[in-house]
This record gives sequence, C-alpha cells and structure tokens, in this order.
Amino acid sequence: MQQQEIHDFLLRYFQANNCELVASSPSYMTVQLTEEMDKELMNRPFYWHYLEKTGGVPNPMKLTLITNQQQVPSDLKGENIHFGSPRLHQIFSSSKKLAGYIRLYENYQGAPGRQTPLLPWLCLNTKISYQCDRKRDVYQSIGLQLINGRMVTGFHDRLLQVPLTPKIPDYAFTLSPIIMPKSGVTRIENLLRANLSEEDHTWAEEARQRWEKDLQLLEHFYKDIEDDTESYEIEKQALREQFEPKITISVINGGIFYLTDQAI
Amino acid sequence: MTVQITFDSSWQDELINRITNDGPWGNWELYKLANEVEQHTLIPQFEGLQAPKHLSQLTPLPHQLEVAKQVVENMNGKAILADEVGLGKTIEAGLVLKEYMIRGLVKKALILVPASLVSQWEMELNTKFFIPAVAQRKSYVWEQCDVVVSSIDTAKRNPHRDIIFQQSYDMVIIDEAHKLKNSKTKNYEFVQNLKKKFCLLLTATPIQNRVSEIFNLVSLLKPGHLGSESAFYGKYKKDARSIDDDKHLQELVNKVMIRNRREDTGIEWTKRHVETIPIEFTSAEQELYDSIQLLKENTSETASSPFSIMTLQREACSSREAVYYTLKNMLKRQETPSAIFEQKIASIIKKVEAVTSNSKAEKTLELIKKIDDKVIVFTEYRATQLYLQWFLQQHGISSVPFRGGFKRGKKDWMRELFEKKAQVLIATEAGGEGINLQFCNHIINFDLPWNPMRLEQRIGRIHRLGQKKDVMIYNFAIKDTVEDHILKLLYEKINLFEKVIGDLDDILTKLDFGKVEEHLVDIFSHSSSEGEMKIKMENFTSMIQFAEEMREGDGHAATGNS
Repeated sequence: MQQQEIHDFLLRYFQANNCELVASSPSYMTVQLTEEMDKELMNRPFYWHYLEKTGGVPNPMKLTLITNQQQVPSDLKGENIHFGSPRLHQIFSSSKKLAGYIRLYENYQGAPGRQTPLLPWLCLNTKISYQCDRKRDVYQSIGLQLINGRMVTGFHDRLLQVPLTPKIPDYAFTLSPIIMPKSGVTRIENLLRANLSEEDHTWAEEARQRWEKDLQLLEHFYKDIEDDTESYEIEKQALREQFEPKITISVINGGIFYLTDQAI
Repeated sequence: MTVQITFDSSWQDELINRITNDGPWGNWELYKLANEVEQHTLIPQFEGLQAPKHLSQLTPLPHQLEVAKQVVENMNGKAILADEVGLGKTIEAGLVLKEYMIRGLVKKALILVPASLVSQWEMELNTKFFIPAVAQRKSYVWEQCDVVVSSIDTAKRNPHRDIIFQQSYDMVIIDEAHKLKNSKTKNYEFVQNLKKKFCLLLTATPIQNRVSEIFNLVSLLKPGHLGSESAFYGKYKKDARSIDDDKHLQELVNKVMIRNRREDTGIEWTKRHVETIPIEFTSAEQELYDSIQLLKENTSETASSPFSIMTLQREACSSREAVYYTLKNMLKRQETPSAIFEQKIASIIKKVEAVTSNSKAEKTLELIKKIDDKVIVFTEYRATQLYLQWFLQQHGISSVPFRGGFKRGKKDWMRELFEKKAQVLIATEAGGEGINLQFCNHIINFDLPWNPMRLEQRIGRIHRLGQKKDVMIYNFAIKDTVEDHILKLLYEKINLFEKVIGDLDDILTKLDFGKVEEHLVDIFSHSSSEGEMKIKMENFTSMIQFAEEMREGDGHAATGNS
C-alpha cells in the first residue's frame, strides 16, 4: 500500500463513519471523531464510563494522522501513519469488524407502476490460508443465488459494478429464497473444499518430507537416551505444530444482496 | 494427498442471527474497505519477505535481509544467528519475528536476553518493529502478553518456570546464546524443555573453545541434526578446537547457522582517528605525583599492595580529587596506622592541597570548545567525574554523568538528556553492554583503562552500525608518568585503536581471552618496579602480535596457540 492509497483509505474510513474533517491536505488530516469512533479507536473506556456515571457532556477527541511527514507544517502534532503502523492496523481491523455483515438492494430505477423483482444472493468473501512452516493466502469471493443455486466466483468485483442501496427502492420487491442462507453457506463451503481438493498440493508434500526428516533426526538423537521421554514428546509435538500442512478458510465478510435478474 | 481443511463456521451463526433480527447491517463503503484491506494484507507467496514494507522506521542492510530470508525459506525458522559483533543480530532476529507475525505463524513469542538488555530489546521491538513486546515485570505477563522479554535467570526460577512450561511458544529467541554451551547447566535444561515451534539463537561466538559447544547449541535447536551425543563424540574429539578441520561437520553446521563477517557485508565502516594528546603537569601536580613514590619506601602498610601505589600514581594523572579519595580510604582501612604512615599520608595530602588547577581538565575544556559538538569524556574515577562535572559547569558547558551502577531507567534518561540537551557525557564506565551513542562521534579518554577490552567497549558505544561520521578518539596522557607507559606499550604497540571490535574478538578468542585479562592483572598489579612492568608488557605485546601473524597466515593454525 503506497502512502497515497493509505491517505485515501483513511479519508474514506472516516467519512463512512460520519467523522467530520477539521483540516486536511494531501499530507495529513485532522478528524473530529464521533462518540462511537472515539470509543472504537481511542481506547479510553474509563473516560466513557466516568461520563456515563456523572452524566457529563461527551467530548470526543480529534485525531491528526500524517501520511507524508515531509510536507506538513512543522508545528503540526500528529501520528505518523505508514503501512506497518499499529494505528493503521487498528483501523484495518476496525473496518473489518464494523462491516462483517451486510444487506443491500440494487438501486434499480424502474418505470413507475411496474414492479421489478429482486433476486436474493448470498455472498461470502473468504481468505484461504495454506499453512505449514510457511504460509500464503488466497482471496476468494463467491456469490450464490438463493433461488436457482447458481454460483459465481469473483462476486465482489462484480458487485462493484452494480449501484447498491441499503433501502429497498420504490417499485421493487424481493423474492424469498428457496435455499436457506444456512445451507447456502454450506454449499459455498463445499464448493471451496471441492476446488481445494483438486489443487496441486506439492507444498504440503514437501512440508511433510521436511517434517519426516526432522522427526527421524529427533528419534536418532533420543535413541540412546532412555530416561528423557518427556522432552522427546515435547519436541515431537513441536515438530507437528511447525510442519503439519493445513488449510483454513476464514470469512472476511459477506451478506445478502437483492439484485435484478440481469445484474450479474 | 489429502490436506486437512478447516472452515471457520462462527461467521454463519452470526449471519443467521442478524437475518432473524433484521440487522444491524454494515455500511457498504466500510464493507468495500474491509475487502480492500484484506487483499492488501494478503500474503501471496510462501517465499519472500513481507516484513520490510511494514517497517518504515528501519532500513535493514542487505546482509540482514538476506539472513532473514535464509532463516524463513531454507532453515524452517530454526537458526543460530552468529554474525560478528556490531552487525545487527537484533535487527535480523526482529525481522524474522516480524515476518512470522505478519504471516500469522507466530503469535506467542518468548525472548530471553541478559538482564541488562531487557529494556533495550523491549524498546527496539516496539519502536523499530512495532511488535508489542512487554518486559516481564509481573507474573501475569507470562500468560496474558503475547511477546514477552525476560532474562533467563528470572525465567528459569519458580514461580515463573512452572508458568512458562505451561505455555506453548510459537517462537523462542535467545540472545547471548553462547552462555548455553554447557548441556549440564540449569539454563540449558530450562531452554531444552521450552515448547517452541521456531527458535533463534543469537551469539557472536558460537565456538569459543571446543566443538562440544556447537553440538550443544545445535541440539537445542534441532536435536539429532549432528547425531546423537555418543555418535557425535565417537566421531569428533570432544575437545577439538575448531570445526574447520572437518568439512562434513562444517557443512552440517552451516545448515543451521549463519555467520556474516564484517568484511562480507560490503558496508563501508567509518574510520577511526586516534590522536594522542601529551599533557604536561604543572609543577604542583608534578610534586604530588612524585610524592607518591614516598609510600613505596619501607612502610609495612603499603608493602603488601604495590597495586595501590600504581593506582595512586594513575589517579594523580587524573585528578587531585581521585588521589585524595583513595588516601582517605587507605587511612580508614588501617586499624592502627603507624605514625610514620600517617605522617606520609599527611604530607601527600598537603601536596594535594597545593594543587590548584588540573592540566587535563583545562585541556578538555579547550578541546570541547574546539570540537563544538557532542563529546563523551571517559574517566576511570568517580571523584574525577564529579570534579569534571563541576569544572565544566563553571565554564558554562552542560554535562550529564553516566555510571555502570545506574539503574536501567536512569541510564536511558541520561542518554536521552545527552542526545537532546547536554553537550558532554561524562562516563566512568562503558556501561558494558547496552547503551548506544551513535549520534556522537568524539571520545576523550581522560585517563586510560589498563584493560584493552574496556577501551574497545568505550569506543564500541559510538563506532557501530548507524555511525555516519568518522570517529575521533583523543587519548590524554601525562608525559613521563605511568600513564605514558601504558599508552605507549599497550595501545600503540598493539595498535588497538585502529582495530575494530570483530578483529580483536577473533584474536582474543584464539588466544583464550581469560588469559589476556590475567596477564594484564599480573603486569599491572604484581610488577614491583616499572622495569619489570615494561618487560612483562613487551612479552605480552609480542604474544598478541604472534597471534595476529598466525591469523593472517593460516586460519587453522592459530587455534593451537595458547
């Protein structure tokens, strides 16, 4: 992520959370946090607890974030934000937390008087992690139409092309799902599992070989030591944790989308 | 080939919950941001390093990045990092730890370091690597914090020990790991029984004396890598001194150990300029110096300690305050001092009182004014330190004191004051390990320690990675005194000042360092005359020169010398 991208990201984050921009330039921004955002980011539960008890007037903080240290007024005090900074990662995880579940409608402006049906879709944005003593991830976005069971990969990118709104538009109505969301999730899970089982898993094979090799060394080492089975077991377990290949699928976010027939 | 696949099902329960309750639903903009974030923080490949782009405060050197990459890609996260002193093993370890944390392979880590380095590790991990490391001060820390820094001596004792053994560490890092070379010690057994997935052992001297040391270190990391104990010793002699002799063993060790030498790194080190500044006593000072000779003559009290005469002489080269302080102590130590002894002391004290100025201090003042930048002044004596602080203050120069005895927090504070506020740091001790003062490049050695390692440590505080300028070292020596001899014989002959730490390390390792120190103690404390001292010195210098020549000639042969 370049500094410019980080800057845009922060602007969008605070705007999405209704925080007023007090001052800004391409190199920094000062935002007036709302009460909710203060609680979300500033980590001062005692202050808020105290206010609630005493009924005082809440005074949420202002936050100054600097994205380009070279081009800010010299007297400006604020936090330097870069890709590794703890504040940015806090905001990253906050946006994931605040937007874990969603329900949106396609903003379709049909002719007055003619009712347009909207079809329900279930979307899951997932991260698939391949882990042994090393690790890599793959992003997968899957959409499932909850009436005819059609599945679409790269669903999130397709959604970005569709105008969406949180309220059902006029002259539109939703169709009830035939596939229940719970079994919809299972269908998506099964698809991901099926795809994974067809992949080339040389990486896992190699990890098992490394594991086996270290295990043999370990056994050889403890061969003539009889009374030290405890540390042998500890080491053996540690090797399992280090090398055993596994794949975990975690959900980043997702939800229900009601879309017109021709949207996807 | 089947791989176990886990699907995180917690998300769907909450989805059903929200559908039933008709919300709350997230904001579309945030939802999109969350996906972008995820795609940005995704780790696309098993290979390569992610850590550098997370570290804006740090520009790792090429050899440090290479080490981190090697450890992650080829050593499966278990390695001995054995770079020479000053090449940044801490940075390498931090890079590896950060890499694994970003990849989500390490969450819980334990870092065991010497007690004096605990705060520094904590600080570096936090500020340079943004790793929320916590120094262990309360016992709940073991369980509640993910990254804990502690000294091994604390950790191995109960109640800590039992709690630690309950934890499952993803990574264990041990600094100064050569202290674990003996497998019979409590420390060794403690580390052996830690539950650890990945492990880094840091040491600049993986082998000091015998091959058994490397066997023990490797066995902590990867038991069996060098075979079982009996098989190993069957093959290699236990007290063999070098692993260079055996290609096969060397190869095996290189699979788990990385060692960079100063010259391999391709870094241009800044130069050291050494200037000896001869100083002349005032006549009052000279008289004081000469009067100390009086003590040598037939007094029973001093006959037993030629060392204190030598000490007094060296102190007389430093400041009258230092002499006075020692004299007072000498008197106090004698339960019933003889009249003649008391009389002699009194006469020296008179000479002390007669001294009204300090030639070295004047010179220091002049030099500091000329340098017009930050300066570290080292002295051996606390009395001199106090005097200098007063003296400089009289002339409007701000200074801060520094002593080895300061608590960690005070040391950090003094360092901070020196960096931000004061022009001069007056230190009585190099502080040994820990304090780094690369922002300063001038050292005045107000007086000289007789142990060259101490001097190396002094210089090492500023001449290290991160020093951008050439380092200037000024040595003060008063003409025709014991100080002059020390300087000429030890420092100029062995040419210590131009050497860098690593080189000296090598020479001393091969010489068996303990002996060097013994030699020095012998030379300076047991010589009954200056003549004897000179002869012993000559012997000693030629020994070191011999070792050096051996080293330049043939790496292997030098190991046999001692």
